[in-house]
Amino acid sequence: MILKNNLKEIRQKNGFTQEELGTNVGVSRQTIISIERYRYKPTLELAMKIAQKLNIKIEKLFYFDQE
Amino acid sequence: MGLSKKEISILIEIIFSIVFVFIFLPYFYENQEINLILMDDLIGKIIEILIFTVIYFSIAYSLLEFIFKKKESKDERDDMINSKSYKLGYLLYEFSLFIFIGYVCSKFKNKELLNLTGNQELYNNFQLTDGGIVFFVLVLLAFISIIKSLYQFYLHRTV
Repeated sequence: MILKNNLKEIRQKNGFTQEELGTNVGVSRQTIISIERYRYKPTLELAMKIAQKLNIKIEKLFYFDQE
Repeated sequence: MGLSKKEISILIEIIFSIVFVFIFLPYFYENQEINLILMDDLIGKIIEILIFTVIYFSIAYSLLEFIFKKKESKDERDDMINSKSYKLGYLLYEFSLFIFIGYVCSKFKNKELLNLTGNQELYNNFQLTDGGIVFFVLVLLAFISIIKSLYQFYLHRTV
């Protein structure tokens, strides 16, 4: 099972750039890029901050890919 | 290939280690057969290294701050990358400590054996000098520092 996310689509829908979202949740742009590319798994704290900022439930943002 | 501020600061460290190996290590290599007290202008060399280090990092980081005006704070991804690369560095330090102990022991063993043979020339070649120890330690430190920084750079590019 791979942990994936809809961060890119939801971020764009909310009108945030990677830089803006990063600044809002206290991380760098590179960290947001890494999460969107599934290369970095954020801590629960960061995941919740992002979900809160994007006004979405955490389970809608992050999900397990069964393949 | 766009590099971030953090990646460039790692490259600055790598370049420093490489410059140290090519500029300052030859002095310790040439003097590894003698004791520190006999080394030609050791204090001068240490001062030279210190001055070079201060000037190099001052210029490099000033340029970096000038190019990247925005301040970048450390986040959890940086902490993860640092913990992985420093862990590798720590393991290498442990491993090299064993190599160092082996090196010292082999010198003593050889010294004992050659002392028995009475061959003065060979005996002199296997003498353990503090100049030799300093050179060996500096080589290990430079090697470990380069490997650690390269791994850190690799993680920044791939994670």
